[in-house]
Amino acid sequence: MKVRTRSNQFSNVIPSLVAAACLVLPANMTAAAGGEAEGRVRDPVEDLSETTLDNGLRVVLLEDHRTPVVAFQIWVDAGSSDETFYTGIAHLFEHMMFKGSKNIEEEVHAQLINERGGRINAYTNRDVTVYHEDVTAESLPLVIDLEAERFANLDISASMLESEREVVLEERRLRTEDSPAGRGFEALAALVWQAHPYRWPVIGWRSDVEKVTVAACRAFFDTYYASNNLTVVIVGDFESESTLAHIRRTFGRLSPAKQIPRSPTTVVPQRGERRADVLFDVQIPLLYAGWHTPATGHADGEALDLASQILSGGRSSRLYRSLVYEEEKALYAYGGYMEFADAGMFYGIAGARPGTSLEEVEALFMAEIDRVAADGVSAEELARAKRQMEVGLVSGLSTNHALASRIGREVLSFGRVRPLDERISAIRAVSADDVQRVVRTYLQSDSRSVIHVIAPEADGEAGEEGTR
Amino acid sequence: MTSQVLSRRAAIAILSLALGCGVGGPRPAWEVPPPAPVENTIVRMDDLHRVTLANGAKLILLEDHRLPRLALGLTLRRGVGSVDPKVAGVAELATEVMQRGAGERDALMLAKVVEDAGASLSVSSGWDTTTISLSGLSEDRELLLEILADVALRPRFDESEFEKALAEQQASLVAAQDDPATLIRWHTLRTLFEGHRYGLPNSGTSETLARIDVAAARAFWVDRFVPANIIFWAVGDFPAESLIGDVRGLFESLRESPAIAKTPPIAERTPESRRIVVIDKPELLQARIILAHEGIARTEETRLAVDLMNNALGGSGFSSRLMKKIRSDEGLTYGIGSRFSLRSQPGPFSISTFTRVAKVRRVIDLILEEVEAIGSDRPVSEEELGKFISYNVGRFGLSLETSDAVMASLVDLDVHDLPEDSLERYRDRIRAVSLEDVTEAAKIRLHPDRAAILVLGPAELLVPELEGLGPVEVRKP
Repeated sequence: MKVRTRSNQFSNVIPSLVAAACLVLPANMTAAAGGEAEGRVRDPVEDLSETTLDNGLRVVLLEDHRTPVVAFQIWVDAGSSDETFYTGIAHLFEHMMFKGSKNIEEEVHAQLINERGGRINAYTNRDVTVYHEDVTAESLPLVIDLEAERFANLDISASMLESEREVVLEERRLRTEDSPAGRGFEALAALVWQAHPYRWPVIGWRSDVEKVTVAACRAFFDTYYASNNLTVVIVGDFESESTLAHIRRTFGRLSPAKQIPRSPTTVVPQRGERRADVLFDVQIPLLYAGWHTPATGHADGEALDLASQILSGGRSSRLYRSLVYEEEKALYAYGGYMEFADAGMFYGIAGARPGTSLEEVEALFMAEIDRVAADGVSAEELARAKRQMEVGLVSGLSTNHALASRIGREVLSFGRVRPLDERISAIRAVSADDVQRVVRTYLQSDSRSVIHVIAPEADGEAGEEGTR
Repeated sequence: MTSQVLSRRAAIAILSLALGCGVGGPRPAWEVPPPAPVENTIVRMDDLHRVTLANGAKLILLEDHRLPRLALGLTLRRGVGSVDPKVAGVAELATEVMQRGAGERDALMLAKVVEDAGASLSVSSGWDTTTISLSGLSEDRELLLEILADVALRPRFDESEFEKALAEQQASLVAAQDDPATLIRWHTLRTLFEGHRYGLPNSGTSETLARIDVAAARAFWVDRFVPANIIFWAVGDFPAESLIGDVRGLFESLRESPAIAKTPPIAERTPESRRIVVIDKPELLQARIILAHEGIARTEETRLAVDLMNNALGGSGFSSRLMKKIRSDEGLTYGIGSRFSLRSQPGPFSISTFTRVAKVRRVIDLILEEVEAIGSDRPVSEEELGKFISYNVGRFGLSLETSDAVMASLVDLDVHDLPEDSLERYRDRIRAVSLEDVTEAAKIRLHPDRAAILVLGPAELLVPELEGLGPVEVRKP
């Protein structure tokens, strides 16, 4: 069953979600400005505050006055895995949110933000839908009013749905139906997650998008866009007190849902390798592979991330060196750990060079996985991978948008923001044995799924999928 | 600095209170006039250091001690545009090989020393520049500088590495056939700039790559790595004086030598008359469309007026006329945009979109209608101009949120010999653009009557749709 953190685990006002936090990097790090102790990089989330309104809406604020910029995000705890009849409705709904409301005409929300130079967009994944705006400081009140308006008074009409349905179908053609990579990943997810709702594409199957109804859209909105399923995150140049008052006055009017249903389906353990071909008119065949891995927050997460880094992090990584550089069989080859609320996937992707069979590429790819499982990783590789991850965490502090994204993701996943030093400690605690163990445990040949995107035979049918 | 921050914070607080506590209840912010934008200082002069070495090489350093990281590199004022079209692809090959061995380190050793530090190294070439770029933690400054010096002064250009890079680049050209967006872009360049370097992909073609050897790759770098072309830049957490001293030690002894020629001029009008080109990809469900002709140079004096006109046409997302008409009103596409590609010589002006095959003609007709209208009976209005000035002022502040972005802009100004204070003056300059300037820009810079129209998709279905637009040339990908 889908288990998610809930807002009621917070007290009404918590001044700081994290304990005193610092990031201590190796060697003789010069301190950041502002009187910090030597060797200590201040994690900005030390200062964030969290409030839950009476209607269950969660508000997380982090003032940062270094630049006159504000990042505003609303995280809706609903993604494609919450769809129960029409797949793609969560994503289609994300589009509908730009089509106007009681007091704002179609597309005017985005135009008003644009006209002040702001950036506005949204995305949907398997677990969440996120609406985000980056604006200069003076436009934050406008953003709050516009967001509250569309969450309270969205116009879900047949004409709006028809227009946006066509746009989404164009997006589907763009990203999936005319894209060998899009076709490959769509087929991989369906093969890996046979039972769980993660199996269908976030954008939905074409037939569902073509047929979804206004009534279904309204039901989805009423259920999942309730105030107690939303988290507002604001980072940047604003005053918390007046901003929180503004949010209370606007978002405070939204209604909570009595119950927010979640799919009961769990991932079914895989018994045996699964394979399928996707026939598409490609010049270079593509390999997609996937293995079941744990959901986000699992204790093996860091070891899986480090395995990803050792296999794929840069020109010294194993997959690049073997498949691209030394053997010259692939144009690119990499893998990584994707983590979601209910399950994860370790994926592998490679593009064969012209004249090279995909079987050859797959054999080399799997040999690298098997080599880690059999022989482990070196201390040098592990140290390099850790350093790359730690530097990446520091770089993630550079913009308000990145900070807001980190906060939203962590609050929805864990109910708190993990301080950077906690994350660094977890990374540093991983041993070479841990990396070998997780590869042995999760990346087994009899629990993998493999997709080949290959050109059809001369008289074959392009764009069809078949199982071998 | 502190007082500026406080006054800004006070202004925001006052604004929030005003919105929240008005007599008779608060009015939504969209009903009240927009507040004046917060305008901070873009470049703090105390943090900026400019030095010119005796041999002419320039140094630009911007200190920012908020995070313990830094980026540094060299940008040369010559790029792909300065290459003979016969050896197109040599810039991409040379910059790739430079990442495969320098000084005492071979390819693997170089990769390891960079990645051991959690740093990144890239060498790349744009139309007007070639850049070595490194970033990492500030505690690794000396190492990053050592690697920069090796890559710039002692690139190995090993024959075996060149052969590997060449094979990879040739394979990438084949792989690009699977990407409709890349394919139609390449055909657009060829249609507009045949015979000029702008007419070929950055990575060259299989024919031009066959003419390149390791000596040519080395020559690409050596010919351009002369002091008059060099801009050393650094941004982040470092002691400026010390770094300047280190950089002097590395690059001041380079001898002056003549710089290789810049990008040659392009034809003033391209195409001369309308061209309709279909690139046949029978398997696609969705057709790609580009409408294009010559644009303007990076240094064009009227570029701000052109920017504003382009914002109204298709360069501002959901606020643009093309997006409103073709996506929002008719649901014919997921995205459409127009842009002027700014280079030392005028790059293309292009409108790009995609739609289901059966709707291609409808989309082309709507694009032509909007382009014609903005230059004739529906010019940019006073209201639109005000909105797009506000759009640019706001976007300017957001786009320079990080010091890395500020540095990229400073280097770009230097590459194109534009005034050093352009960033500080930008907001005033764009506010000074008049409606007449914008109207004139639409009339002079848009040519729907002779634009090239390229469509990529199944030719069998597309050619009949395009009847009446002009003679159709069908190409294989």
